[in-house]
Amino acid sequence: MHRTDEVHPSRVTANRPDTLRVRLMLAMILSYLAMMAFVLYCARHPVPAAIASMTFSPAMIALASCMALSVILTGLFVFMRHGD
Amino acid sequence: MMRMSRNGMSLLFAIAYTFGVSGSAYSAQPESQVRQADVSTIFFFVVFAVLTLLISFWTARHATSSSEYLTAGSSISSGQNGLAIAGDYMSAGAFLGLSGAIYASGLDGMFLAASYLASWPIVLFLVAEPLRRLGKYSFADVLTHKLKERPVRILAGSSTLVIVSFYLVAQMVGAGELISLLFGIGYAPAVIMVGMLMIVFSTLGGMRAATWVQIIKAVLMIGGSCIIAVLVLVRFGFSMSDLFKTAVSNHPIGDRIMDIRGFAQDGVATLSIGVGVLFGTAGLPHILMRFFTVSDERAARLSVFYATCLICLFFVMLFFIGYGSIALLRGDAAYASASGVLFGGNNLAPIHLARAVGGSILAGFISAVAFATILAVVSGLLIAGASSAANDLVVGLSGRQLTERTRLQISRISSVALGVLGILLGLACEGQNVAYLLALATAIAASANFPLLILAIYWDGLTTRGAVIGGTFGLISSVVLTAMGPTIWSKVLGLGPAIFPYDSPALFTLPLTLLVCWLVSITKAEPEGDWRLTGPSVARYVE
Repeated sequence: MHRTDEVHPSRVTANRPDTLRVRLMLAMILSYLAMMAFVLYCARHPVPAAIASMTFSPAMIALASCMALSVILTGLFVFMRHGD
Repeated sequence: MMRMSRNGMSLLFAIAYTFGVSGSAYSAQPESQVRQADVSTIFFFVVFAVLTLLISFWTARHATSSSEYLTAGSSISSGQNGLAIAGDYMSAGAFLGLSGAIYASGLDGMFLAASYLASWPIVLFLVAEPLRRLGKYSFADVLTHKLKERPVRILAGSSTLVIVSFYLVAQMVGAGELISLLFGIGYAPAVIMVGMLMIVFSTLGGMRAATWVQIIKAVLMIGGSCIIAVLVLVRFGFSMSDLFKTAVSNHPIGDRIMDIRGFAQDGVATLSIGVGVLFGTAGLPHILMRFFTVSDERAARLSVFYATCLICLFFVMLFFIGYGSIALLRGDAAYASASGVLFGGNNLAPIHLARAVGGSILAGFISAVAFATILAVVSGLLIAGASSAANDLVVGLSGRQLTERTRLQISRISSVALGVLGILLGLACEGQNVAYLLALATAIAASANFPLLILAIYWDGLTTRGAVIGGTFGLISSVVLTAMGPTIWSKVLGLGPAIFPYDSPALFTLPLTLLVCWLVSITKAEPEGDWRLTGPSVARYVE
């Protein structure tokens, strides 16, 4: 390794976020907002008896789905970029 | 205007705890009711203290250059970095605070956990790779690739040091209270002990030592959490249904522990907290520093993936620990008062649960892991602060680049100075509720650092003037609005009804900062000329 101490002559051009990156980011933000809206709805409305008998509450399932999606989207992005 | 109720207040503390730790808000029990440290706790504590000192002495011989000291020579592997990032997130606050929040009010704690986890894909998609590609010591390096160095470095250095200082004070106060509770020693000796270890550890070993302690701690934390969770499930024959039924029957609010309660009271407040958490992580200096410790962008990507998986596993274990605490500790006179508050505060739920399911050895182990967690987090904070002081503030204020030797010296001096400051402020703030400092730090990260970073990376039109005015606006507005919120204005300062109705201002300050940056940038173009300082900090390393 050797170091070059040159002064860069011009401004560095901004990165352009690629389509995959933008889509995955939007998917994450939208799913997070959807989860938030769903758990708020669940907290303010009575749960139907059939659903109330389930082991996990709907809010728990929504939170778990959002957490799983975080891991899946992260993994998907890393997998898609593996060849870079 | 007081829209945040008592629940909202406790939720703010839970947020604060997740990023750091402060015992003030939860440790409401008299000290006489708290168990004193037993032999196993002291044994594990001594083992961890000796181990961390050995690591710092071992890594000290590597830390002979600023690159090695501040970023471990970018030689940390993606797996190691993933564990270290996860370690940064698995703070004592997350472990104790979130399980305590679940013990107190059910699923609310898990809502925060899901929010923190959702912030990691944002970090990966937006900042991880550009940071690794363009940065060397601090996130200001990324900004200065297209903006004038001096003003931007002064701004970035100021916001970093403000965030680090807030974190540090809260950590030291929390460490003092937590360790005095766990080990049965006084507050002042606890603060001084943690502070001295932190200073020795950070000054000698630098980032490599901080990384290795985070790795060891992350493994022990995940392992300890898994053991507690499995032992809880064993108690209920691996029946989740039985676990939930017992928890619901034990808790005074019954089946409402299965739903979000506190966050449901005010949708806008919840959204603002969500925005702050979602984007704040991508602006936290000690988290961003981690991307400079790996060799390339691929390693940066992979380390975020590993960290996300580990953090997710950890939060799932916290879910079992939280509900297990309700099922096994509530109503047990050995652990909780008649009103259901745990001895030593609800934050000690995992420690009490470890004792209930695994005896004093497991409780001692978990207590010592909590201590190691505090030490690891404060060491990382010192390194981030030292890096910003040497690389940003001194360079920005002096207007010239530093030699390698000077940079290393300034970093070490800054590390000691910040450590001493942390000890003094920690001692001065004994008994104070300082959890709001962590909320402030998160708000600044989301409102000042994140918008600048994103615009600098993805928008050609950002000018130095736009960045400085916008960043200053984000910094000041987030501090002022948080100070005018219900927690600080009404509860801490006692100035009557809050002027700003929400505790987290990120929903408003983040878009406003973006808007200010954009407006100022489009009104006046960046002047041409030699805008970059010359010297080693702008050097590119090539094969």
